Amino acid sequence: MTITTLWGLTLAHLTLVLVMPILLVGVINRTKSWWAARKGPGLFQSFYDLRRLLGKRPVVSHTATPLFRLGAYLVLVCALIAMAFVPLLGQFAPLSFAHDFVAVAYTLGLARIVLMLSAMDVGSPFEGMGAAREAKFGAFAEPALFLLLGTVGAATGLSSFADMLGHLHHTFYYAWIVLPLAGALLILLQTEAARVPVDDPLTHLELTMIHEVMILDHSGPELAAMQYAAGLKMTLYAGLIATLLNPFDPLAAPLAATAVSVGLMLTVAVVVGCFESLMARLPMHQVSRYVWLAGWLAAAAALTVGVLGGGL
Amino acid sequence: MNQLLAAALLLIVGAGLALLPLKNTWRAACGIVSQSVATVLTWVAVVPVLAGGKEPYVELPWGYPIGALHFRLDALGAFFLSWSLPMTLLGAVYAVGYLRKYFDGSRHVGVHFALLNMISLSFLMVYTGEHAVTFLMGWEIAALSAWLLVIWDYTSQKVRFAGFNYLVSTHIGLIFLVAAFMILYTQTQSWYLDDFGDWMSAHPGTIRNTVFLLLLTSFGLKSAFFPFHSWLPRAHAAAPANVSALMSGVIHKAGLFALLHFLYIQGRPDAWMGWALIAFSVTSAVIGGLYTVGQRDLKRLLGYSSTENVGIAGIGFGIGTLGLAWDVPGLVAIGFAGGLLHILNHAFFKCQLFYAAGCVYQAKHGVDIERLGGLAKLMPITALSFLVGGIAISALPPFNGFASEFLIYSGLFTGETISVWAKLLLAGVAMLLAFVGAVSALSITRAYGVIFMGNSRDDTLPAGHEPSAWMLVPLLIHTAGTVVLGLLPVLGLVLVTAPTQLFLHAVPDAITAEAMLGVQQVLSRVSVVSACVAALIVLAWAAVWLVRRALRHPAAAAGPTWGCGYTAGSARVQYTASSFSKDFSQHYKGVMVLLNRKKAPTGYFPDDAYVITDCVDAVERRLYNVIGHGDDSATLISKLMHEDDPRIAFALGLAAVVVIAALVVLAEGALP
Repeated sequence: MTITTLWGLTLAHLTLVLVMPILLVGVINRTKSWWAARKGPGLFQSFYDLRRLLGKRPVVSHTATPLFRLGAYLVLVCALIAMAFVPLLGQFAPLSFAHDFVAVAYTLGLARIVLMLSAMDVGSPFEGMGAAREAKFGAFAEPALFLLLGTVGAATGLSSFADMLGHLHHTFYYAWIVLPLAGALLILLQTEAARVPVDDPLTHLELTMIHEVMILDHSGPELAAMQYAAGLKMTLYAGLIATLLNPFDPLAAPLAATAVSVGLMLTVAVVVGCFESLMARLPMHQVSRYVWLAGWLAAAAALTVGVLGGGL
Repeated sequence: MNQLLAAALLLIVGAGLALLPLKNTWRAACGIVSQSVATVLTWVAVVPVLAGGKEPYVELPWGYPIGALHFRLDALGAFFLSWSLPMTLLGAVYAVGYLRKYFDGSRHVGVHFALLNMISLSFLMVYTGEHAVTFLMGWEIAALSAWLLVIWDYTSQKVRFAGFNYLVSTHIGLIFLVAAFMILYTQTQSWYLDDFGDWMSAHPGTIRNTVFLLLLTSFGLKSAFFPFHSWLPRAHAAAPANVSALMSGVIHKAGLFALLHFLYIQGRPDAWMGWALIAFSVTSAVIGGLYTVGQRDLKRLLGYSSTENVGIAGIGFGIGTLGLAWDVPGLVAIGFAGGLLHILNHAFFKCQLFYAAGCVYQAKHGVDIERLGGLAKLMPITALSFLVGGIAISALPPFNGFASEFLIYSGLFTGETISVWAKLLLAGVAMLLAFVGAVSALSITRAYGVIFMGNSRDDTLPAGHEPSAWMLVPLLIHTAGTVVLGLLPVLGLVLVTAPTQLFLHAVPDAITAEAMLGVQQVLSRVSVVSACVAALIVLAWAAVWLVRRALRHPAAAAGPTWGCGYTAGSARVQYTASSFSKDFSQHYKGVMVLLNRKKAPTGYFPDDAYVITDCVDAVERRLYNVIGHGDDSATLISKLMHEDDPRIAFALGLAAVVVIAALVVLAEGALP
């Protein structure tokens, strides 16, 4: 491990953080159009959309307080800060310390509360609905993530985000718990990034939306910030899945680890795209059960670790 | 110690003086001045102890049967005193603004300030008393003064009911406490708490376990842990805002102090005590959190969140207790430091939220969330303070709640060598704590979003305005504390170090400095994260502003809120607090009892229709149901027994005489 490797990995991490939110959305859309036998938009279409939004003059509701416009940038900044601690390439993150995942979850929590408040800020009859749903599914998703990470921590004996997930494949628990963990993370991705079957980013009915209804009143650069932040959240979870499955150690084999990680993240996008093509979003009352499934999977992994490691 | 005695005397004299003058202004001045001086005196005594100095100790001779009164200021008491008195003083300052309208009337405001003095006095007695009697007296003074403060608005039947509810509950707690003390007295023949402690550490076993459970119940009632919380939301909703703030943030921390004090003197605990404490606390945290979601009354909501937060602090103490039982100094340090820091942080942001609620109450004559709206534009300072407190109470960076919860999480995800099952159980607790955090984010979004954002929902209420400086200053001091302790939690650690070391000394061959260094490391990382979050957010805003200026972007166009084709004219169509919580609370029907009263619209031209949702306390409801059943069955039994038959009365009297005679004979002079 040399200092060059570390700088290289940091640079690769940064590049992925900047590019993946756009590319993942592109891959999902291409997958969907492939299933529908359409040509589909280009892989970087969402980049052009964001650029277009940046040039627009925003319209702000009379009712809104300054938090409405400032909040969008706060959400973006919080998502970016969180990405600094999240392993994308295996057992590596630019910044890491013991229990940094708590800081990640809570920084994203700050983004979530501001997103919800921005929705409430315009005094709309619809947007509170999205905020209430976001709060509810967030309250179901966050515990699942903590249980999952606690399990991985107990299995590896390590404490930072990158070490725990990146090191897991060296332990003998790995083969037993990798599938439930990957499943749980995929469900969390669909919940947090508002994808089918939890939420449909393309829906046109306010009554069934979650994420989109919260940002109905945002426009121009603020809308771009919100959308990019949502892409970052998806990158975060895709990166976690890639790290979990990545067999290479980025400090020993940086190129292979990076290549495999990028491949895995794109595969996750394809899987998400397949979900979106092959099933409709669930009715609202079944979504909770789907999100709980992540918690149950994490609990199953926890029990497995307990039985294997501590005996009955 | 002399300073503390002087402070106590001064508080008593000040309380008396506050009753004498003819003008309300002078009465308030007497209270506040005596409190300020007493606070300074207390600080003079407390600071050396917190810095690791000698523990002052004093013995006052007293007559039989009580014996000499002992007072000792240990680090734990010093920590609690260090913020309890200043915050009570701030509460008194707030009261000047809050009770303004009574100052010119015939109402005697001096009583309020005298009672606040008595509250401070009770802190001095409870936090330093080594004698069971002074401890209980302090306990009782706090309970009675708090009760009298709660019923300030005594002309309202609701307020009186809430007051009596509180009085009864707190005395039920006292019964458990007295029971525990009686058991300890019979074992030690002494009234001194350190003798109790010596006996408990020498005799682990059934009696100590019983005492532990009795004390846990009593202190749980004092601090409003679930299921002993049902008095709390009523009392908090009924009391003046400064009293609710002090009760929730400061007065009821006495329960946690007493719990810690006994944990510390009782010697090495058993592991089950740690687990029991964690289970008890996590239940409180989860259920208290869930109840905050359904409330319509802002002060009730904040009251329930006290139950939640004492639970979170209790989780920390549970971790510390486990560390004591397992001899793991790292866990002891992080658990107790985390819990204590959370108590301090909670005192800061809870008083802040209650003060903000008081500002809203004063402006709008009510805190029914459903009738408010759009206050952020009219009361920007109050709104900002409430938002800061709300983010802190949801344990989000960059404010102080995050720091203490991070410490507690570090304890739950500990890297110490403990069994795999223990780790997984603690991870389960962490999962529940994450749930609690997300739930409080939900209720804060709901409260802030509905009260301060959008448009006003009820035009019959007076328009809002910022309160007077008397109210704003305490509010802003608390806000500043919340922010500073969030960015520099190491400052909080300075207060917490000495009391945590008390517990560390109990662990055989623990290197105290090393364990505390671990805590300090965690907090300095928190500090970096919080500072980064705060700085980057501000930088981003500055950058956006600069870019907009540099590129000469036109100002944003103003328009109506998106209305999906129908931008309705009425502010009543805004999303309501009930709708916000309904979606979530339907998953927790067992805990959250939602009562609906509704009239559906009928006919082609419906005139009047409404839905009113109330979230009532399941414990209280259940309690009254049980009492109702008990009444019914008592009536039934008395009917079946023909109680009015004189023969039964004679038979019972005879039986009683025989039993008493038998006791006297069998005791054979064992009675003194």
